[in-house]
Amino acid sequence: MLRYAASRLFRAILTIWIAVTVTFFLLRLLPADPTLLVVEGDMTPEMQEALRSQYGLDKPILQQYVLYLGQLVQGNLGVSFRQLVPVSDLLLSRLPWTLLLAGSAFVLTLLIGIPLGVQAAVGRGGLVDRAVQFFGITANALFIPSVAILLLVVFGSNLGWFPIGQAIDPDTRGLAAYASLLHHLALPLFSLVLVQLGPYALTLRTNMVEVLGEDYITSARSRGLTHRRVVWRHALRNAVLPALMLMGLQLGTLIGGAVLTETVFAYPGVGRLIFESVQQLDFPVLQGAFVILAVTVVLANLLTDLLSMALNPRIRT
Amino acid sequence: MKGTIGRIRRTGAALAVATLVAVTGCSLNEGGGESTGGSGGSDEQAGGATLRIGTTTDMENFNPLQSLSKTDSWILNATYPTLLRIDGNAQKVPELAEEYTTEADGTVVVFHLRDDFEWSDGTPVTAKDVAFTAQAIMDHQLGNVAAKLTWVTGIEVRDDHTVAFTLSEPYAPFAEGVGFWMRIVPEHIFSKAGDVSQFANDSDWVGAGAYILESATKGQRYVLKANENYPYAPEGGPAVETVEYVVYPDVNTMILALRNGDIDLMGTPVPVSAVASLESDENIAIETVGSLGFAHLTYNVQHPVLADQTVRQALSMVVDTESIIETILQGDGERMVGPISPIFADYDNSDLEPYPFDPAGARALLEGAGYTDGDGDGILDDLTFEMVCDQSNANLTRVAEVVRDDAAEAGIQIDLACIERNTFLARTRGGEYDIDLSQWGVFDNPMDQLRSTYLSSNPGGINYNLVADPELDALVNDAAVTADPEQFVEKIKGIDAYVHDQALLTPLYVENFRFAYRGDRFTGFDPSPSDLLGMVTGYSLAQVTPVD
Repeated sequence: MLRYAASRLFRAILTIWIAVTVTFFLLRLLPADPTLLVVEGDMTPEMQEALRSQYGLDKPILQQYVLYLGQLVQGNLGVSFRQLVPVSDLLLSRLPWTLLLAGSAFVLTLLIGIPLGVQAAVGRGGLVDRAVQFFGITANALFIPSVAILLLVVFGSNLGWFPIGQAIDPDTRGLAAYASLLHHLALPLFSLVLVQLGPYALTLRTNMVEVLGEDYITSARSRGLTHRRVVWRHALRNAVLPALMLMGLQLGTLIGGAVLTETVFAYPGVGRLIFESVQQLDFPVLQGAFVILAVTVVLANLLTDLLSMALNPRIRT
Repeated sequence: MKGTIGRIRRTGAALAVATLVAVTGCSLNEGGGESTGGSGGSDEQAGGATLRIGTTTDMENFNPLQSLSKTDSWILNATYPTLLRIDGNAQKVPELAEEYTTEADGTVVVFHLRDDFEWSDGTPVTAKDVAFTAQAIMDHQLGNVAAKLTWVTGIEVRDDHTVAFTLSEPYAPFAEGVGFWMRIVPEHIFSKAGDVSQFANDSDWVGAGAYILESATKGQRYVLKANENYPYAPEGGPAVETVEYVVYPDVNTMILALRNGDIDLMGTPVPVSAVASLESDENIAIETVGSLGFAHLTYNVQHPVLADQTVRQALSMVVDTESIIETILQGDGERMVGPISPIFADYDNSDLEPYPFDPAGARALLEGAGYTDGDGDGILDDLTFEMVCDQSNANLTRVAEVVRDDAAEAGIQIDLACIERNTFLARTRGGEYDIDLSQWGVFDNPMDQLRSTYLSSNPGGINYNLVADPELDALVNDAAVTADPEQFVEKIKGIDAYVHDQALLTPLYVENFRFAYRGDRFTGFDPSPSDLLGMVTGYSLAQVTPVD
């Protein structure tokens, strides 16, 4: 069991290293030059050279890479090209908002998705089942920005129920601030859950249907256990495993979705920071953001792995 | 294993709650996110109105000596005063300087400052601040202002309100360029910062403009407070007490926020496609503002075929500017001829004859010059060019298609490369194009424009023609040292005509910008041309009054 955990950990570190390396070189393969964006209009070649050396872009690319890895190991993410502040400061001010948004979307998807998937499987062909199948497939085809704009137009602009943009009204204090927070969170959260929920419930339903046909379920039923117990204790535990894995994998999509969601909803998270930094070619910020995202996804997968180990005795050796 | 699922569920819920609380806890304390200035706090001021402005991106850099992004400039221009400002007719008018004079045949330029500007910490604004600012920019070669100060050999503070710049040679628009672009910073703050090029200036701002930055919450909003001492505010001080910039990266969301009343003014111009729907909203007013730049086709004369003046003239004849303005800009633009925008009324060039839109005539012109269609495909041999444009400019990508189709009629094949903005910039800077379809942002005076775009030494790095024409160099250099105003205007007009005849570029249009605001709440903006200035200059905001 320890060996299993150790090998997972090694793989996690390897994955992060690969992600860091790929990000680093991809950015430098871009045909565009970050120094060109700093000054609009007149810029002398001397100024451009000075900027290149300030950014460290005048060194050979391998040397830049080694320097960067060296910094990274010490926990230093570098300084933003454009904002002249440490990247870690920028990320730390944005990360809580992304954690709140993506985290609550994740939890909400599980909380609604599990009962929905189970109900669909148990009542096959029923109303819930048909709804889950329909939304599961359509949601896969939804494009987050379109959903977001639609929600904003209907619930923000036309009905005026929700504020447009931002994460909180900074002038509120105490309980009112929490209310304002939830008020601002509602629409972006809803759009993320809407896109995630269908596919998740659908996967769970498929697994559940399969598991419900297994011999041990039949035998459990024949032992006279209640329907409820058979479904929730015996079947779900096995059906939820692959669905859990899926959720771990989908965390990447969730965060990718957050880039678009946060941009359209003007939500101040890491996703929007990425969007802005891409436009400004702020390499250190992009690298830092991708390191954080890679670590988050890898950690989540590590957790799901360990969790499945707890749930599935077959992995324990 | 009994109850594992239940445990997981409970753990999940607990985690969710914990995350929520932790996150909100820290953001409600605004730990690290917000930096505030010394005075005031964010308590609601009694009586003063709050105007909320939508911006598209966070501030990048709070150092006014460095920062050059458009959205940063909106906030920094309000906080830090300039010597001159540009009024609604694109004329330079007094701001911190009440006037400027020249001495010694134009080699000494003297700014005379007002005596009633004051930094927000109570220190008066003096000539020393101006001298310090210019010296710091020259020492560290900061931003685009460094290029405006190229000629300076000495700065002399004559008294508290008089500062003189000695130039290596006379340069007619020196005072206008420096006066408009150089944001003056307080010496007593910036000199303590050590290396000003590395000074972040990200808290406790001390300004002397109409509105002074007070707090910044990255990712969310920037709050500015009215400067009660701003001399150009109406009697009794500015009616808008607080200006808040709120970040909306997506312009569609910003439009919804305006309709919804979450903001009062869009700092960004309204896209042509959204004008009609906003006009129909009775709460929303729209102001039309001119531009200090223009859209153009610029020909790379290093290309062996484009080096031929006849080819460039023929290309100018396949561009139907009138119908482009009518259809693509929906009439919201002005036609121009030659490289100097009609907004500079002093350099009126209406006697220049525009190239007619005449693809058949263009073809005849080319055939007359010896270009033939050897393989009979309808395209004249050698007349195939690649035109690059910035994909994010919706108007220009449509112009590209129109020009391509009209050019084909004249036997010219244009291949379009409308590409991602950053790639586009890299290619134009690298000279990797035959034709550059793009839009100049802000030229505050024609002389600077002609120097930057046509001198073979390419001092501003934007000679996108890559032209190296000794005759043109001589014309530009001669005009630059002409001190007599009348002669100066004549020489500029001469260059205008020369470039027009050479057809180095085909100007397309001077775009009008449309700014939308809540007319049911505020009125009285005094806009200046361009989307750099627009509705949001400190001067304009100080004139605004709430609608009762």
